[in-house]
Amino acid sequence: MILASGFFEDLFRGILQGTPPGAVYALIALGFVLTYKTSGVFNLAFGAQAYISAAMYFKVHSVWGWPKWAALLVSVFVLAPLVGLVLERAIFRHLRTASAVSKLVVTIGLSVALPEIFNWAARFSAVAGRQITGIVPDGAGVYYDPFGVYRFNRDELAMMAVALAGTLLLAALFRFTMMGLSMRAVVESPRMTELSGINANRVSAFAWALSSTFAGMAGVLIAPRFNSLSSGDYFTLVIIAVAAAATGLLVSLPRALLGGLGLGWFIAVFNTFLPGLADDHTWLRPFQENLTPSLPFVVLFAILVLWRAVGRQREASDPLAGVDPPPPALAALERHPRLTLFTRLFGVFFVTVVGLVVWFRADVLWMSLVTKAVIIALIYLSVTVITGMGGQISLCQGTFAAIGGFTVFQMADRFNMSVLAAALIGAALAAAVGALLSLPVLRLGGVWLAIATLAFAFFFDAVMVKFSWVGGGSTALLTGTQVPRPLIGPIDFASDRAFLVLAVVALVVVSVVVIQLREGTIGRTLAALRGSEVAAASIGISAARARIVAFAVSAAIAGLGGALLAMHQQNVNYALNFAPIVALFWLVVVVALGSRTVEGAIQAGAAFALFEPLILQGELLGWIVRGEERLPEFFPLSGNWRLILFGLMAMQFARHPEGLVEHGKRRSATRINGWLEAREARA
Amino acid sequence: MTRVLEASGMSVAFAGIRALDNVSVSVAAAERVGLIGPNGAGKTTLFNCLLGILRPDAGRVLLNGVDVGGWPAHRRARAGMGRTFQRVELFADTTVREHLLIAERVRNGTGAFWKDLIGRGRPTTDEVAVCDEVLELLGIAELADKPVESLSLGQSRLVEVGRALMTGPQVLLLDEPSSGLDRDETQVLADTLRAVQDTRGYAVLLVEHDVSLVADFTERTYVLDSGALIAEGSTADVLADPAVRRAYLGSFEVT
Repeated sequence: MILASGFFEDLFRGILQGTPPGAVYALIALGFVLTYKTSGVFNLAFGAQAYISAAMYFKVHSVWGWPKWAALLVSVFVLAPLVGLVLERAIFRHLRTASAVSKLVVTIGLSVALPEIFNWAARFSAVAGRQITGIVPDGAGVYYDPFGVYRFNRDELAMMAVALAGTLLLAALFRFTMMGLSMRAVVESPRMTELSGINANRVSAFAWALSSTFAGMAGVLIAPRFNSLSSGDYFTLVIIAVAAAATGLLVSLPRALLGGLGLGWFIAVFNTFLPGLADDHTWLRPFQENLTPSLPFVVLFAILVLWRAVGRQREASDPLAGVDPPPPALAALERHPRLTLFTRLFGVFFVTVVGLVVWFRADVLWMSLVTKAVIIALIYLSVTVITGMGGQISLCQGTFAAIGGFTVFQMADRFNMSVLAAALIGAALAAAVGALLSLPVLRLGGVWLAIATLAFAFFFDAVMVKFSWVGGGSTALLTGTQVPRPLIGPIDFASDRAFLVLAVVALVVVSVVVIQLREGTIGRTLAALRGSEVAAASIGISAARARIVAFAVSAAIAGLGGALLAMHQQNVNYALNFAPIVALFWLVVVVALGSRTVEGAIQAGAAFALFEPLILQGELLGWIVRGEERLPEFFPLSGNWRLILFGLMAMQFARHPEGLVEHGKRRSATRINGWLEAREARA
Repeated sequence: MTRVLEASGMSVAFAGIRALDNVSVSVAAAERVGLIGPNGAGKTTLFNCLLGILRPDAGRVLLNGVDVGGWPAHRRARAGMGRTFQRVELFADTTVREHLLIAERVRNGTGAFWKDLIGRGRPTTDEVAVCDEVLELLGIAELADKPVESLSLGQSRLVEVGRALMTGPQVLLLDEPSSGLDRDETQVLADTLRAVQDTRGYAVLLVEHDVSLVADFTERTYVLDSGALIAEGSTADVLADPAVRRAYLGSFEVT
C-alpha cells in the first residue's frame, strides 16, 4: 500500500499547490462574469486590464521605489477602476445594442491595443526578466507548511486570502445592496431597467470599475509566478478565466469561483502526475512537453464541446431589441446606376495605375510588400466566407493558413513535390481539418464558437506545431521551414515579378469563386441562416450541412493563401505569419473594414500589409515631399502606433458594425445619389 | 379520409410542470383545423413538438402515416410541414422574391455545391416564374423586389405564407397569424389564406387567439387548457360548448 499512500500524498500536494493559482483564476473569473452579467460583453481585454495594473505596480514599486502598499493603492485601487470606467464610458456604453459578436471584436482589438497604449504612455517596455515581487514583504522567502506535504510561501497565502476577501465582498454586494440588485436587473435589458427608474449607465459604470479592480488585483497577485511581465501571459490568463466562467455558463458567480479553483487543482495535479507517467510510457513524452502550456486551451475546448448546456445557451436577447432599426442594406445595392458605373470605372483606373507603378517603378522591397498584400487579401477572403457570408466568427484562420504553409514545406522537403501541387493538397487538408473542427463546435452559437476556435488555434500553436511531421519540430521552427518558389515548365516564379502575377491570378480566381458562392445556393442558404435559423429550418435548410461547407471552403481558401505566403517568403515563418494572435489581428482588420464584400477583404489585405511602411515609416509622405531627409523628425513612427491605431480602429468599428469602408461608401453614396437625383430632377 | 398529420399521446413536462398531458390531434387532407386555448394552455408547446423543435417526453407524430418523431425540424419541413411564425421571422437583407427563391431551390434539391463553383447557382427563369406565381396568388406581386425590412407586419405575414407554400406543404401550421394585426388586416389575411388554400388544397392547422378568425376559417377545432384537451369537434359546436366558454371564451357570442 506504499504506492497508494504515495499516490494520495501526491494528489493532496497537487491540490494544495493548485489552490493559490486557482484562487487567482477564480478572482479573475468572477470579474469576467461580472462584466458579462452587467453589460453582455465577453471581455477578452480582461487580461490586458490585469497586465496594466501589474505593470503599473512594477513601475511604482520597483522603478520609482515607492512602498508596496502605495504601489498597490495606485495600481489596483486607482488605475484599475479608472481603466474600467474609461472603457465603459468611451466604448461599451455605446455598444449596448450591438451584437455580442461585434462586442467581442472590440475587446479583441482592445486586448492588443491596451498594453501598447499603457507601455507607450508610461514609457514602459515589456522586456524579459522583469519579474515583480508579491504584495507582501519577503513573499517568496518565508514558508509555511501546515500539512507536511507542501510548503506555501507568503505570496501564495496572500493570493488565497485576497481571493477569499474579494469573493465575500462580491457576495455581500449582490445580496445586501441596492446596487447588486440593480446589476442583476441591468443584464436582462438596460432599457427595460431604465423604464423602472434605474440609471443603467451608473450601474454599468460601477460594474466595470469593480470588475476592472478584480482584474488588476488578480494581475498583481499572479505576477510573481511569471518569469517576466508580458501581455501574452495575461492573455492566457483570460482563457483560463473563460474556461472557469464557462462552467457557470457565464452567469453563475459561485460556479465561476469553483471553476477557477478546480482549474488550478486540475492543472497542478496534471503536472504532478504526467512526468511520472511519461517516464513509463515514452510515447507520452512529446505531449508532456507540449501539453502543459496549452492545458487551459484543451480544458476550455473540452468544456465547450463536451458540455451540452453551453451549446443550448442562447445569447441573452434584449426584450426591447425589436424597436431597433434593422441593419442597413449594402451600399452597392442602393447606388444610383451612374454612380455604380463611375465607381467601377474608377476602380479599374485605380487598380491599373497602381499595377503600372508597381510593375515599372517598384524596387524589390515594394514588389515584395505588394505581393504580400495580394496574398493576405486572398487569405482575408476566407473571413469573408465564414464571417461575412456565414455570420460566424472564426479565430483560427491563421491555423488553417499555417496548415497550407506547412503542407507545402513538408511535401517539398520530404517528397520533393511541386509546390503548386502541394499548395492544392494543403488547401484540401485545411478544408478537411475545417470540416472536422466544425462538427463538434457547430452547435455552439456566436461567441462560444469564436472562443472554441480560439482554443483550437492555441492548441495547434502549443502542441501540433512542435511535432516534426507538422512544423518540422521546434528546432526547425527556429532554423527555418524552407519552401522553394514554384516552377511551371519554362516559367520560373523565383522572379519576384512573375510571382506577383501568380499571386494576382490566384486572388482573382478566389474572388470570382467567392462571388459565385455568394450568389449561388450556398450563399443564399447562409444568408437565410444568418437571418433566422428557425425560419431556415422551416423551409428545409439543414444548418449543420451549410455551416460545414462554409467552414471547409473558408479553411481551404486560408490554406491556399498560407501556402502562397510560404512560397512568397520562401519560408513558412509560422510565428511571424500565422500565430494565433496574428489571426486575431486579421479578423479585426477584416470585419472593421467590411467582411461582407470582396473589395472589403482586398482593402483589408492592403491595409494590413502596406499601412506600416506606407504611413508609419513615412514612405508616402516622403514621396509627397520628395525626399526622406525632409520628413518631420518623428518619422519613422514606432511600432506601438500600429497597435494603438489598430485599437482605435476596433473602437470605430463598434459604431459602424457593417465595416468602416462600407460605412464610408454608404455616406458618400447617399450624398452623391442625392446630388445626381437633384440634377436629374432639374433636367 | 386520409390523415396528413396525426399526433397521439403527446406529453411534455418542464421542471415538473405538465405542459402537455396525453394530447392527441389529427388533421385530414385539405382540412382546416383550429387549436385554441388560453395563455399557457400548451398551444405553443404542442406546436413545437409537431414541428420537431421540441422533443416530447412521450407520444408519436405521423406525417402521411410515417413516424417522424426522431426527425429534425428541417427534415419534417422537406417532408411536407410548412409553418409561419407568431413573431415574424424573415431573412434580413434579402428581398421578398429571394425568400421564395431559396425555399424553391431547397425543395427541388438542385443546389449542388459544384454548380455554385462553376457559376450555375444563380436563380433560373423557371424558379423565378414559380415564385412570381405564388406572389401573384398572395396578391403581393408588386412587393417582389422590396427588401423585407420595408414591409408592414401584415405583408410580412404574407411573405411567410408564401415562403412556406414554396416548400409544397401538405399541412401548413399557422402560429397566431393575427397577432399584432388590426381587425381589417386580419380580415385581409383570412380572405387570402382561404383563397390560397382553396386553390392549393393543403391542410391547415391554425393556432390562434382571435376566436372570430377561428370561427370564420376552420371546420374543426381543438381546445387546450392547462396542457390537456378539453374539447374537440366541429368549430361551431366547440365554440358553443359551455365548458369551453367557461374555460376560455368568457362572454363571447358566436354569430
